[in-house]
Amino acid sequence: MPTMPTTTPTPRLALAALTAAALAVSSVAAGAASSGSGELARPAAAEGKLAIKAGKVIPGPGRAAIDGGVILIEGGRITAVGRDVQIPWDATVIDAPDWTAFPGFVEAHTSRGMDRPNENLEVAPFLSVRDSIDPINFYFEDALRWGLTTINVEQGHETVIAGQGIVVKPWGLTVEEMTVKPVAGIKISATPKRTLSGATQAQVLRRAFGDLRRYLEDLVQQKKEGSDRSRREALFQGRELEGEKAKGRAMEGSAWKVEGLERVPRGEIDEKQEPLLALVEGRIPAFVYCGRPSDVRLALEVARENGFLARTTLVVSPVCWKAADEIAEAGVPIVIEGGLVHTERDPFTGKEIETFVPKVFQERGVRFALSASNSTSESLWYQAALATGLGLTREQALAAVTTVPAEILGLGKRVGSLEPGKDGNVLLFSGDPLSVSSWVERVILEGVEVYDRSKDVRMKHLLEGVTPPSTAAMGEEEEVTHEDEGSPPEAGDEKKDEKEPPPKNGGNGGKGGGR
Amino acid sequence: MKRGVAALLALAALAWALPAWTPARSEAAARAEVVALQAGTAHLVEGGKVLEGGVTIVVRDGKILAAGKDVAVPPGARVVDYGADAVIVPGLVAANSPYGVGPPSRRTADPGVLAVDNFDPFSSAYLADVAGGVTSAYLAPARGRLISGQGAVVKLAGDDLRRRVVSRSAALQGSVGAEARDVPGYWDPPVPATVEVGLGVAEPQLPRTTMGAIVALTELLEAARSGKEADAYGPGAARELARVLGTGLPWRIDAGTETEIRAILRLAQSERLPLVIDGAERAGELADEIRRAGASAIVEVDVAPNSAGRDFGKGRDDRWPVFDTAARLVRAGVPIAIATEDSVRPRDLRFAAAVASRGGLAADAALRAITLGPAEILGVADRVGSIAPGKDADFAVLNGPPLSAASSVVATWIDGEPVWEVAGSDAPGSKAARSKAIVIEVAELYVGDGEVLRPGQVLMQGGRIAEVGRRVAHPLGAVVVRGPAAMPGMIDAFGHLGLDGSSKAPPTDYKLARVVEPGDRVDRMVARAGVTTVVLTPRGTSSSGTPMMAYKPAGQDLESMVLSDPTALHLAWTHSRNRVESGKDVREVLAKAVEYEKKWKEYEAAIAKWTPPPPEPEARVESAKEEKKPEAGTPPETKDEKKDEKAKGKEKKEPEADPVTGIWEGKLALPPNESEVSLRLRMRLEGKVVTGALRCAQVSEGLVPLGGTFEEGKLALAGLGSRGFVSLSGEPKEGKLEGKLAVGSNEIELKLERTTKDLDEARRPELRREKKPEEKEPKGKPRAPGIDAKLEPLRRAMHGEGAVVVDVDRAVEILDCVKAFEEAGIKPVLYGADEAWKVADALRGRVAGVILTHQVMEVDPRKGLSELRNRFAELALAGIPVAFHSAAEEGASDLPLIAAYAVAQGMSPEGALRALTYDAAAMLAIASRVGRLARGMDGDVLLLDGPPLEPSTSVLRTWVNGEEVR
Repeated sequence: MPTMPTTTPTPRLALAALTAAALAVSSVAAGAASSGSGELARPAAAEGKLAIKAGKVIPGPGRAAIDGGVILIEGGRITAVGRDVQIPWDATVIDAPDWTAFPGFVEAHTSRGMDRPNENLEVAPFLSVRDSIDPINFYFEDALRWGLTTINVEQGHETVIAGQGIVVKPWGLTVEEMTVKPVAGIKISATPKRTLSGATQAQVLRRAFGDLRRYLEDLVQQKKEGSDRSRREALFQGRELEGEKAKGRAMEGSAWKVEGLERVPRGEIDEKQEPLLALVEGRIPAFVYCGRPSDVRLALEVARENGFLARTTLVVSPVCWKAADEIAEAGVPIVIEGGLVHTERDPFTGKEIETFVPKVFQERGVRFALSASNSTSESLWYQAALATGLGLTREQALAAVTTVPAEILGLGKRVGSLEPGKDGNVLLFSGDPLSVSSWVERVILEGVEVYDRSKDVRMKHLLEGVTPPSTAAMGEEEEVTHEDEGSPPEAGDEKKDEKEPPPKNGGNGGKGGGR
Repeated sequence: MKRGVAALLALAALAWALPAWTPARSEAAARAEVVALQAGTAHLVEGGKVLEGGVTIVVRDGKILAAGKDVAVPPGARVVDYGADAVIVPGLVAANSPYGVGPPSRRTADPGVLAVDNFDPFSSAYLADVAGGVTSAYLAPARGRLISGQGAVVKLAGDDLRRRVVSRSAALQGSVGAEARDVPGYWDPPVPATVEVGLGVAEPQLPRTTMGAIVALTELLEAARSGKEADAYGPGAARELARVLGTGLPWRIDAGTETEIRAILRLAQSERLPLVIDGAERAGELADEIRRAGASAIVEVDVAPNSAGRDFGKGRDDRWPVFDTAARLVRAGVPIAIATEDSVRPRDLRFAAAVASRGGLAADAALRAITLGPAEILGVADRVGSIAPGKDADFAVLNGPPLSAASSVVATWIDGEPVWEVAGSDAPGSKAARSKAIVIEVAELYVGDGEVLRPGQVLMQGGRIAEVGRRVAHPLGAVVVRGPAAMPGMIDAFGHLGLDGSSKAPPTDYKLARVVEPGDRVDRMVARAGVTTVVLTPRGTSSSGTPMMAYKPAGQDLESMVLSDPTALHLAWTHSRNRVESGKDVREVLAKAVEYEKKWKEYEAAIAKWTPPPPEPEARVESAKEEKKPEAGTPPETKDEKKDEKAKGKEKKEPEADPVTGIWEGKLALPPNESEVSLRLRMRLEGKVVTGALRCAQVSEGLVPLGGTFEEGKLALAGLGSRGFVSLSGEPKEGKLEGKLAVGSNEIELKLERTTKDLDEARRPELRREKKPEEKEPKGKPRAPGIDAKLEPLRRAMHGEGAVVVDVDRAVEILDCVKAFEEAGIKPVLYGADEAWKVADALRGRVAGVILTHQVMEVDPRKGLSELRNRFAELALAGIPVAFHSAAEEGASDLPLIAAYAVAQGMSPEGALRALTYDAAAMLAIASRVGRLARGMDGDVLLLDGPPLEPSTSVLRTWVNGEEVR
């Protein structure tokens, strides 16, 4: 590690970076990729053709590596992968004979990248994470360094029924530009929110679906009686009923149904209730958080009773390995977050017992994705590398950060591996993807090179102490404010707002973290 | 390859034959298995039955099949016997527990909250309760609301999660007490909160008073019965209450004061609610009213009272604790359950029931109030609460009466599986073999030094006696053994057990610890006959004396077997018929010893005067380093031996003269998962005949005596071990033996190495002591005289740390001998001493004691049978300590008989007991560890079926170092 300020690296960097971002509006998430000049760089045209010649191409977990392979991306999609690919004359070529190409990592569940992860209401399925995504959040910048190319951002765990998540790529000026899948699924928590107990949490959760049912029955009753209170309300709220919305449709729930719902135009259904109805009808998936093994029973029970078990993914903490049998029986996929090893003491002997969690699920045939979710010091890359060290095979570990999360997000045909037809999300590593000495050198997102380590000014600053020219003045200024203890209130506010500090010493993302 | 497979198969078969290697049974197999629990007493609670004198409970698939005194153990059943002193009661049912209680709902009445959603079956928090015998517990959804939800009943342990929930909905939990009256106003934030809508205000909720509570309940009941919504109580409350009413769920309502109880009783009567009054500490006054209303009650007992918290000022006598509530309720005919307070863990439920028994509650009613009582109130009596066929196999196994403060739980069973067992419970198949604490309770406890406690108790912990008294501490989970009488283990003051027939007198400095070996079956038999300590004396003596060693034949390992080595020096005053030279050798030895002692005294005096020079730290470090070098690796002693062996091997390459005799050691090569098993073989070759003994814990419990032949380089041995016929074949060559060991019908390959050829010099690794690195003495320091192993025992005797035993018979010689020892400053122990009784008065205070010959009675030929004299009695009466001895090997087991005979011939039983125990230990200077039942002494105890020294009394059980000898 080159010399770097060890005393207070975080606020200094954060402030410098934030100010830089504020000054140069354009730098945004691509701040690292763009050069220090503040000029917005779009090196290769998304509409154009890109050919990546890599020393080695690993198309995905469980697939043979191609030495000296070529990946051809046209219009953001991969059109060919192989050794004998004809490179069109008009293609931009990235020639990397020493590097390894690998599909971008997929984060199946995180609550980062938002201004705040949790909303106060117990039941709020009508919220959308889309409105909370912060494109200039440092998380997305770090995601590029770590090689995350597809990220499911969901509301936090402090909830009963939370809003709808969104799948984004970590590059873009606006949420719309970042969006990969606008509705990833509804977030539910089986673990009690603060101020609730397991019993009251369960009761609120069950009652939400009971209330939905009564609400729908009430709507149907109103239509039967001829009173169109709901229609007037919809008009009053400015919800126009055109097209699909104007039509009624029979309910499709597999667990329970409300007879006569076809009488009610879909547009008349309250926006607050509509997302839960979509869940029960199986139109959108659910991500259910289980922080304790005893929550698994409730999560599965509610999903079964309301017919969305088939579209449920459990987001589990490591201790949930104890409920692995129940999860395996239900056949739902899981996202393991918060660590790979569970440690506890045997109450009889007092000895410490360590359980390698992914292995437990692997042995029971549960499909699992790893998540670096809310940890600042661990990336997906790190998780996968650690998992291979602890007992997963290389293929299992790689699948848990690429293909399995892609399938969980319903994007199995778009991301997770390098195949013709899939999105052109390619990582170029300086070595093997699971080696500690490898760096993510380039990130190509849908055919656009969005990250180049050689131009990563923040990384350089961190590792080599090179201050980018545009931030040099700010850096000095910051030093002054730091020296006098009573820092000005503005600086304090900025720090508070900045939820995601840039990578710290020893935790600077996947590639830097190992050093 | 084929051979490997065969070996594996053989191993698999062997593993089946030898229980120590059996892998853990699979859970499914364990469930289908039939288990027969046995104990002395069982409280079935069902029908109030108490069965005594041996009870069998048959369990299968987690359920009780049969329970009774005459129940036969089904063929193939696994028997778990907790012993005649154990008491089995149904697993306790806690009507209250702090588990899962979370913050209450924001609504004053929320019947839809299910406590079962709070249940964490993966938690290990319940283990303390399981250790207290509690197997099922009620979980409250929350507290502090008019209706806080529905409670559940769960099992506190068990792997099968489906069996853990006994009842999802056991009671509707509510309160009309003070705790329910500070419910905050209900506020529902409007979404979205616009200017028109505003933020809204919190609606006040009932109740603030008892009357408010009754009004609210009435309103809710009315709405529920008429199928309407009671809007003030939130949507769904009335609907969920209606569902509850339909199931006939009991209403478990907290009512503390008499006013509250009266109010809720009135409501229950008018609305016909199945009422359970919770926390009814002061309901005794209203017992009759409660019965008339058909309600039941849960009486909470504060088992860990916060006395300071009870101080409310002199006027508040309503806080004065009432203990007789349970008794009054039961007397009035109210079904009750006794529970611990809802904020504490229910592990002390048994204690709570005992406290609640004040005021005349019968013990069986109290036990019922923590088992079947709560089970019935909570509607789970079809599964738990009593021991009856068809019910869940949940038990608490106790070591005494269920409600006695001194009894504790030894094991807890849930669904036919032991979920908790005290470490060291000596039930077969228990998790730990070693006992942690054993309490022996007897009607008569003979302490050994003359004192008798009636009744008496001994507590043994960690191999030693921790407490002796009329009532001693009963640590939790202690194994309690009861019987008529107990005494310390007997001491054979002069025995040969362990010599294996050898009649050779060893050198004076010989370590006798080399000849004994733990685990011999005969040794255990001797201990079970009551002789726990033998002072091993080689046959014959030499002029400079032979060593004697006090050891415990039934000790568990070499360290705990040997009390001291040498314990005493054995000398003979007369060696031959030539009585002219009597005492010559002894006098010479004594003179040397006096000289030796003088040297030491001079040295001690010199060292006391000498002041050490200031230390030179650097020099010291270097010298220490230098000296460490040779110490690294194997101790020099063994190195030398190996060198010698190698040198010998090089010198003569001809075939070995005796390739068999010696000690052979090795480990059985087992598959990687299994633990290694060490094996020790001792063989002696005489002609072609080989005799030997095999030690291997997995083959036999004790030594296996082997016999066989060695012909043409092939060895064949056979013998009978405790697990069947053992045979060994192989070819010993150059100190290595490869062959096969067969146990029963199973075979295993073995490889042994000869550790020594000399049987008598068979040094055990345990006894090899590394030499301390000699520190460089500073200049001018007086040099200590060398330790003379031959004289050291005498020197120790001069300091009272050891003993000298002298063979001497005639009265004149006895006097000469005692005088000679007196001059050397030693009080000898006389051995033989046929005529000692004649000079008893002259011996008093001058000898440490007398070990008399077997011949108890002295017949004076001149006076005939008219004046028989009891040698022991005469000496004992004269105040001279005597001791009994066997002068035999296994014959040591006759020691109690010899003593009993002496008593029959006129010796006082008390004196005989002392002679067997304390006096023998005192005269041989081993009284600091054996001979008495006192704190800190070794845990050598005999349990007798009658007074000791009665010929009809036999030894029931024996403990050596706190472990039972089996």
